[in-house]
Amino acid sequence: MNTVHFAAGTSEHPVVVTRVAEQEWHALADDQVVGHGDVLPRPDGRIFLSIDAWHGPVFDQLADAMLTELPKPLYTVVDEGDRDLTSSWERVGFTVRRREWEYLVPTDPRVTGLDAVQPPSGVTIVPAGEAEEGPLRALDRAIREEAETTVGWQEMPAEVFPRPHGTTVLDPSKYAVAVRSGQYVGLLRVAPVTRLPRIGLIAVRADQHRHGIARALLAHALGSLRRSGFETASADVNESNAAATALFDGVGAQRASSNLELVFRQLNSLPDRPHGH
Amino acid sequence: MAKTAGGLEVEGIVLECLRNATFKVELHNGHKVLAHISGKIRKNYIKILPYDRVLVELTPYDLTRGRILFRYRA
Repeated sequence: MNTVHFAAGTSEHPVVVTRVAEQEWHALADDQVVGHGDVLPRPDGRIFLSIDAWHGPVFDQLADAMLTELPKPLYTVVDEGDRDLTSSWERVGFTVRRREWEYLVPTDPRVTGLDAVQPPSGVTIVPAGEAEEGPLRALDRAIREEAETTVGWQEMPAEVFPRPHGTTVLDPSKYAVAVRSGQYVGLLRVAPVTRLPRIGLIAVRADQHRHGIARALLAHALGSLRRSGFETASADVNESNAAATALFDGVGAQRASSNLELVFRQLNSLPDRPHGH
Repeated sequence: MAKTAGGLEVEGIVLECLRNATFKVELHNGHKVLAHISGKIRKNYIKILPYDRVLVELTPYDLTRGRILFRYRA
Protein backbone atom coordinates (compact mmCIF):
# COMPACT_ATOMS: atom_id res chain seq x y z
CA MET A 1 0.00 0.00 0.00
CA ASN A 2 1.49 3.32 -1.06
CA THR A 3 0.59 6.36 1.02
CA VAL A 4 1.41 9.90 0.04
CA HIS A 5 0.91 12.84 2.37
CA PHE A 6 0.04 16.10 0.70
CA ALA A 7 0.33 19.47 2.35
CA ALA A 8 -2.19 20.94 -0.05
CA GLY A 9 -5.31 20.07 1.95
CA THR A 10 -6.61 22.42 4.57
CA SER A 11 -4.15 23.00 7.38
CA GLU A 12 -6.55 21.45 9.90
CA HIS A 13 -7.37 18.41 7.75
CA PRO A 14 -4.46 17.54 5.47
CA VAL A 15 -5.37 15.20 2.67
CA VAL A 16 -3.67 11.82 2.48
CA VAL A 17 -3.84 9.86 -0.76
CA THR A 18 -3.52 6.09 -0.41
CA ARG A 19 -3.49 3.34 -2.99
CA VAL A 20 -5.92 0.96 -1.31
CA ALA A 21 -6.00 -1.65 -4.07
CA GLU A 22 -4.29 -2.38 -7.38
CA GLN A 23 -6.81 -0.20 -9.20
CA GLU A 24 -8.14 2.11 -6.49
CA TRP A 25 -6.92 5.20 -4.66
CA HIS A 26 -8.56 7.02 -1.75
CA ALA A 27 -8.10 10.59 -0.58
CA LEU A 28 -8.61 10.80 3.17
CA ALA A 29 -9.05 13.89 5.32
CA ASP A 30 -9.65 13.43 9.00
CA ASP A 31 -10.23 9.70 8.34
CA GLN A 32 -13.06 10.48 5.91
CA VAL A 33 -12.94 9.51 2.25
CA VAL A 34 -13.13 12.81 0.40
CA GLY A 35 -12.32 11.47 -3.03
CA HIS A 36 -11.35 8.34 -4.88
CA GLY A 37 -9.71 7.32 -8.10
CA ASP A 38 -10.23 4.14 -10.09
CA VAL A 39 -8.55 2.38 -12.98
CA LEU A 40 -10.26 0.43 -15.74
CA PRO A 41 -8.05 -1.48 -18.18
CA ARG A 42 -9.85 -1.85 -21.51
CA PRO A 43 -9.67 -4.96 -23.66
CA ASP A 44 -7.28 -3.21 -26.06
CA GLY A 45 -4.77 -2.71 -23.21
CA ARG A 46 -5.34 1.00 -22.68
CA ILE A 47 -5.78 2.21 -19.10
CA PHE A 48 -8.70 4.51 -18.32
CA LEU A 49 -8.90 6.55 -15.12
CA SER A 50 -11.74 8.11 -13.23
CA ILE A 51 -11.56 10.44 -10.26
CA ASP A 52 -14.47 11.54 -8.11
CA ALA A 53 -13.78 14.35 -5.67
CA TRP A 54 -15.89 17.15 -4.31
CA HIS A 55 -13.08 19.71 -4.43
CA GLY A 56 -10.52 20.63 -7.07
CA PRO A 57 -7.45 20.35 -4.83
CA VAL A 58 -8.41 16.81 -3.84
CA PHE A 59 -8.92 15.92 -7.51
CA ASP A 60 -5.44 17.24 -8.26
CA GLN A 61 -3.84 15.29 -5.42
CA LEU A 62 -5.47 12.04 -6.50
CA ALA A 63 -4.41 12.70 -10.08
CA ASP A 64 -0.82 13.42 -9.05
CA ALA A 65 -0.61 10.13 -7.15
CA MET A 66 -2.15 8.07 -9.94
CA LEU A 67 -0.16 9.70 -12.73
CA THR A 68 3.05 9.10 -10.81
CA GLU A 69 2.42 5.43 -10.23
CA LEU A 70 0.70 4.24 -13.41
CA PRO A 71 2.35 3.52 -16.76
CA LYS A 72 1.65 6.02 -19.50
CA PRO A 73 -0.22 6.81 -21.66
CA LEU A 74 -3.37 7.08 -19.56
CA TYR A 75 -6.87 7.90 -20.75
CA THR A 76 -10.18 9.12 -19.46
CA VAL A 77 -13.62 9.96 -20.85
CA VAL A 78 -15.60 13.06 -19.96
CA ASP A 79 -18.93 14.46 -21.06
CA GLU A 80 -18.02 17.54 -23.05
CA GLY A 81 -20.91 19.36 -21.40
CA ASP A 82 -19.27 18.90 -18.01
CA ARG A 83 -16.92 21.85 -18.23
CA ASP A 84 -15.76 21.60 -14.60
CA LEU A 85 -14.63 18.00 -14.93
CA THR A 86 -13.05 18.58 -18.33
CA SER A 87 -11.12 21.53 -16.90
CA SER A 88 -9.96 19.41 -13.98
CA TRP A 89 -8.43 16.79 -16.26
CA GLU A 90 -6.86 19.44 -18.48
CA ARG A 91 -5.42 21.13 -15.41
CA VAL A 92 -3.48 18.00 -14.50
CA GLY A 93 -2.10 17.56 -18.01
CA PHE A 94 -4.66 15.63 -20.05
CA THR A 95 -5.36 16.74 -23.61
CA VAL A 96 -8.23 16.00 -25.98
CA ARG A 97 -7.56 12.99 -28.20
CA ARG A 98 -10.90 12.63 -29.90
CA ARG A 99 -14.63 13.35 -29.69
CA GLU A 100 -17.44 10.82 -29.76
CA TRP A 101 -20.93 12.00 -30.64
CA GLU A 102 -23.86 10.39 -28.91
CA TYR A 103 -26.60 10.20 -31.51
CA LEU A 104 -30.27 9.70 -30.79
CA VAL A 105 -31.56 7.79 -33.78
CA PRO A 106 -35.28 7.87 -34.58
CA THR A 107 -36.85 4.60 -35.64
CA ASP A 108 -39.76 6.24 -37.47
CA PRO A 109 -39.22 5.65 -41.19
CA ARG A 110 -41.04 8.91 -41.97
CA VAL A 111 -38.12 10.64 -40.21
CA THR A 112 -35.26 8.40 -41.27
CA GLY A 113 -36.38 8.02 -44.87
CA LEU A 114 -35.38 4.37 -44.62
CA ASP A 115 -38.80 2.88 -45.30
CA ALA A 116 -38.02 2.36 -48.98
CA VAL A 117 -34.43 1.24 -48.45
CA GLN A 118 -33.74 -2.24 -49.73
CA PRO A 119 -30.47 -4.14 -49.45
CA PRO A 120 -28.24 -3.75 -52.51
CA SER A 121 -28.70 -6.26 -55.29
CA GLY A 122 -27.46 -9.68 -54.24
CA VAL A 123 -27.39 -8.80 -50.54
CA THR A 124 -29.79 -10.19 -47.95
CA ILE A 125 -30.11 -9.28 -44.28
CA VAL A 126 -30.18 -12.08 -41.72
CA PRO A 127 -32.09 -10.88 -38.64
CA ALA A 128 -30.59 -10.89 -35.16
CA GLY A 129 -30.77 -14.32 -33.60
CA GLU A 130 -30.61 -16.16 -36.93
CA ALA A 131 -26.99 -15.66 -37.94
CA GLU A 132 -24.72 -18.70 -37.92
CA GLU A 133 -22.22 -18.32 -35.11
CA GLY A 134 -19.14 -19.61 -36.93
CA PRO A 135 -19.34 -17.34 -39.98
CA LEU A 136 -20.38 -14.43 -37.72
CA ARG A 137 -17.27 -14.82 -35.59
CA ALA A 138 -15.13 -15.15 -38.71
CA LEU A 139 -16.62 -11.93 -40.10
CA ASP A 140 -16.03 -10.13 -36.80
CA ARG A 141 -12.37 -11.22 -36.81
CA ALA A 142 -11.90 -10.18 -40.43
CA ILE A 143 -13.42 -6.75 -39.86
CA ARG A 144 -11.28 -6.22 -36.77
CA GLU A 145 -8.13 -7.13 -38.68
CA GLU A 146 -9.09 -4.70 -41.46
CA ALA A 147 -9.71 -1.96 -38.92
CA GLU A 148 -6.33 -2.58 -37.30
CA THR A 149 -4.58 -1.95 -40.61
CA THR A 150 -6.29 1.43 -40.92
CA VAL A 151 -7.48 3.55 -38.00
CA GLY A 152 -7.20 0.77 -35.41
CA TRP A 153 -9.90 -0.94 -33.45
CA GLN A 154 -9.38 1.20 -30.37
CA GLU A 155 -10.95 4.05 -32.34
CA MET A 156 -14.31 2.32 -32.00
CA PRO A 157 -16.26 3.90 -29.13
CA ALA A 158 -18.11 0.71 -28.25
CA GLU A 159 -15.10 -1.39 -27.37
CA VAL A 160 -15.07 -0.93 -23.61
CA PHE A 161 -16.29 -4.18 -22.16
CA PRO A 162 -14.07 -7.05 -21.03
CA ARG A 163 -13.93 -10.03 -23.33
CA PRO A 164 -13.59 -13.39 -21.63
CA HIS A 165 -10.87 -15.53 -23.24
CA GLY A 166 -10.33 -12.92 -25.94
CA THR A 167 -13.67 -13.49 -27.61
CA THR A 168 -15.15 -10.41 -29.26
CA VAL A 169 -18.65 -11.65 -30.11
CA LEU A 170 -20.10 -12.09 -26.65
CA ASP A 171 -23.69 -12.78 -27.67
CA PRO A 172 -24.23 -13.83 -31.30
CA SER A 173 -27.98 -13.44 -30.94
CA LYS A 174 -27.57 -9.64 -30.85
CA TYR A 175 -26.13 -9.44 -34.37
CA ALA A 176 -27.89 -8.94 -37.68
CA VAL A 177 -25.66 -9.67 -40.66
CA ALA A 178 -25.56 -8.83 -44.36
CA VAL A 179 -24.90 -11.75 -46.71
CA ARG A 180 -23.65 -11.58 -50.29
CA SER A 181 -23.11 -14.71 -52.37
CA GLY A 182 -23.29 -16.82 -49.24
CA GLN A 183 -20.58 -14.80 -47.49
CA TYR A 184 -21.16 -12.68 -44.39
CA VAL A 185 -19.99 -9.17 -45.34
CA GLY A 186 -21.46 -6.81 -42.74
CA LEU A 187 -22.81 -6.86 -39.21
CA LEU A 188 -24.80 -4.74 -36.80
CA ARG A 189 -25.14 -5.28 -33.05
CA VAL A 190 -27.96 -3.82 -30.98
CA ALA A 191 -27.12 -3.81 -27.28
CA PRO A 192 -29.98 -4.78 -24.98
CA VAL A 193 -30.15 -1.56 -23.02
CA THR A 194 -33.31 -0.91 -21.06
CA ARG A 195 -35.63 1.66 -22.63
CA LEU A 196 -32.97 3.08 -24.95
CA PRO A 197 -31.50 0.39 -27.18
CA ARG A 198 -27.98 1.07 -28.30
CA ILE A 199 -26.56 0.41 -31.74
CA GLY A 200 -23.28 -0.84 -30.39
CA LEU A 201 -21.52 -1.74 -33.60
CA ILE A 202 -22.09 -1.46 -37.34
CA ALA A 203 -19.34 -2.61 -39.69
CA VAL A 204 -18.88 -3.84 -43.25
CA ARG A 205 -15.97 -5.65 -44.94
CA ALA A 206 -13.61 -3.16 -46.57
CA ASP A 207 -14.18 -4.49 -50.09
CA GLN A 208 -17.94 -4.09 -49.66
CA HIS A 209 -17.92 -0.42 -48.64
CA ARG A 210 -19.99 2.19 -50.51
CA HIS A 211 -22.61 -0.31 -51.64
CA GLY A 212 -25.30 0.73 -49.16
CA ILE A 213 -24.89 -2.33 -46.95
CA ALA A 214 -24.52 -0.40 -43.68
CA ARG A 215 -27.58 1.68 -44.55
CA ALA A 216 -29.56 -1.49 -45.26
CA LEU A 217 -28.44 -3.02 -41.96
CA LEU A 218 -29.44 0.16 -40.15
CA ALA A 219 -32.83 0.23 -41.88
CA HIS A 220 -33.40 -3.38 -40.84
CA ALA A 221 -32.37 -2.77 -37.21
CA LEU A 222 -34.43 0.40 -36.82
CA GLY A 223 -37.42 -1.33 -38.37
CA SER A 224 -37.13 -4.17 -35.87
CA LEU A 225 -36.85 -1.75 -32.98
CA ARG A 226 -39.86 0.19 -34.26
CA ARG A 227 -41.95 -2.98 -34.36
CA SER A 228 -40.83 -3.71 -30.79
CA GLY A 229 -42.18 -0.37 -29.64
CA PHE A 230 -38.96 1.69 -29.47
CA GLU A 231 -39.09 5.19 -30.89
CA THR A 232 -35.39 5.98 -30.44
CA ALA A 233 -32.04 4.24 -30.25
CA SER A 234 -28.63 5.60 -29.33
CA ALA A 235 -25.25 5.27 -31.00
CA ASP A 236 -21.77 6.55 -30.13
CA VAL A 237 -19.75 7.59 -33.16
CA ASN A 238 -16.19 8.84 -33.45
CA GLU A 239 -16.31 12.33 -34.93
CA SER A 240 -13.48 11.52 -37.33
CA ASN A 241 -15.34 8.54 -38.78
CA ALA A 242 -16.82 10.41 -41.72
CA ALA A 243 -18.73 7.44 -43.13
CA ALA A 244 -20.43 6.70 -39.82
CA THR A 245 -21.32 10.31 -39.06
CA ALA A 246 -22.70 10.72 -42.59
CA LEU A 247 -24.77 7.56 -42.15
CA PHE A 248 -26.38 8.75 -38.92
CA ASP A 249 -26.71 12.39 -39.97
CA GLY A 250 -28.37 11.16 -43.14
CA VAL A 251 -31.18 9.38 -41.30
CA GLY A 252 -32.08 12.39 -39.19
CA ALA A 253 -30.23 11.27 -36.06
CA GLN A 254 -29.65 14.08 -33.55
CA ARG A 255 -26.32 14.76 -31.86
CA ALA A 256 -27.51 14.78 -28.26
CA SER A 257 -24.18 15.04 -26.46
CA SER A 258 -20.52 14.32 -26.88
CA ASN A 259 -17.83 12.51 -24.97
CA LEU A 260 -14.22 13.59 -25.08
CA GLU A 261 -11.50 10.99 -24.81
CA LEU A 262 -8.55 12.62 -23.07
CA VAL A 263 -4.99 11.33 -22.94
CA PHE A 264 -2.05 11.91 -20.63
CA ARG A 265 1.19 10.91 -22.32
CA GLN A 266 4.06 11.62 -19.94
CA LEU A 267 4.82 13.12 -16.58
CA ASN A 268 6.71 16.09 -17.94
CA SER A 269 3.44 17.19 -19.53
CA LEU A 270 2.21 18.05 -16.05
CA PRO A 271 1.50 21.78 -16.05
CA ASP A 272 2.67 24.03 -13.23
CA ARG A 273 -0.13 24.71 -10.82
CA PRO A 274 -0.37 27.37 -8.15
CA HIS A 275 0.76 26.03 -4.78
CA GLY A 276 -2.13 24.61 -2.80
CA HIS A 277 -4.33 23.98 -5.82
CA MET B 1 -30.32 6.26 4.13
CA ALA B 2 -26.86 4.76 4.44
CA LYS B 3 -23.90 6.73 5.71
CA THR B 4 -20.58 5.88 4.13
CA ALA B 5 -17.13 7.19 4.75
CA GLY B 6 -17.53 9.52 1.79
CA GLY B 7 -21.02 10.82 2.40
CA LEU B 8 -24.67 9.84 2.37
CA GLU B 9 -25.92 7.33 -0.18
CA VAL B 10 -29.58 7.62 -1.08
CA GLU B 11 -31.76 6.02 -3.74
CA GLY B 12 -33.71 8.24 -6.06
CA ILE B 13 -35.43 8.56 -9.42
CA VAL B 14 -34.03 10.64 -12.26
CA LEU B 15 -36.51 13.36 -13.18
CA GLU B 16 -34.66 15.22 -15.87
CA CYS B 17 -31.43 15.23 -17.83
CA LEU B 18 -30.04 18.76 -17.83
CA ARG B 19 -27.80 20.29 -20.44
CA ASN B 20 -24.59 20.57 -18.47
CA ALA B 21 -24.14 16.82 -17.85
CA THR B 22 -26.16 16.98 -14.65
CA PHE B 23 -29.40 15.31 -13.66
CA LYS B 24 -32.28 16.34 -11.47
CA VAL B 25 -32.98 13.45 -9.09
CA GLU B 26 -35.85 13.06 -6.66
CA LEU B 27 -34.72 11.18 -3.56
CA HIS B 28 -36.90 8.76 -1.63
CA ASN B 29 -37.51 11.40 1.00
CA GLY B 30 -38.91 13.76 -1.63
CA HIS B 31 -35.90 16.07 -1.75
CA LYS B 32 -34.65 17.02 -5.18
CA VAL B 33 -30.93 17.25 -5.87
CA LEU B 34 -28.67 18.03 -8.81
CA ALA B 35 -26.27 15.18 -9.52
CA HIS B 36 -23.36 14.47 -11.82
CA ILE B 37 -22.51 10.93 -12.81
CA SER B 38 -19.55 9.15 -11.29
CA GLY B 39 -16.41 8.47 -13.24
CA LYS B 40 -17.05 4.73 -13.22
CA ILE B 41 -20.45 5.15 -14.86
CA ARG B 42 -18.99 7.47 -17.46
CA LYS B 43 -16.10 5.12 -18.27
CA ASN B 44 -18.52 2.29 -18.87
CA TYR B 45 -20.80 4.28 -21.16
CA ILE B 46 -23.80 3.68 -18.92
CA LYS B 47 -26.60 5.96 -20.02
CA ILE B 48 -28.76 7.66 -17.42
CA LEU B 49 -32.31 8.44 -18.50
CA PRO B 50 -35.40 9.97 -16.90
CA TYR B 51 -37.22 7.46 -14.68
CA ASP B 52 -34.03 5.50 -14.00
CA ARG B 53 -33.68 4.39 -10.38
CA VAL B 54 -30.24 5.40 -9.17
CA LEU B 55 -28.03 5.46 -6.10
CA VAL B 56 -26.83 8.97 -5.30
CA GLU B 57 -23.97 9.97 -3.03
CA LEU B 58 -24.69 13.36 -1.49
CA THR B 59 -21.82 15.67 -0.85
CA PRO B 60 -21.38 16.36 2.85
CA TYR B 61 -20.71 19.97 1.91
CA ASP B 62 -24.02 20.66 0.14
CA LEU B 63 -26.98 18.31 0.53
CA THR B 64 -28.61 19.65 -2.64
CA ARG B 65 -25.86 18.23 -4.83
CA GLY B 66 -24.64 14.73 -5.41
CA ARG B 67 -23.08 12.13 -7.64
CA ILE B 68 -24.85 9.18 -9.27
CA LEU B 69 -22.93 6.06 -8.24
CA PHE B 70 -25.12 3.33 -9.69
CA ARG B 71 -28.04 2.81 -12.03
CA TYR B 72 -30.33 -0.02 -11.04
CA ARG B 73 -31.73 -2.32 -13.66
CA ALA B 74 -35.38 -1.65 -14.38
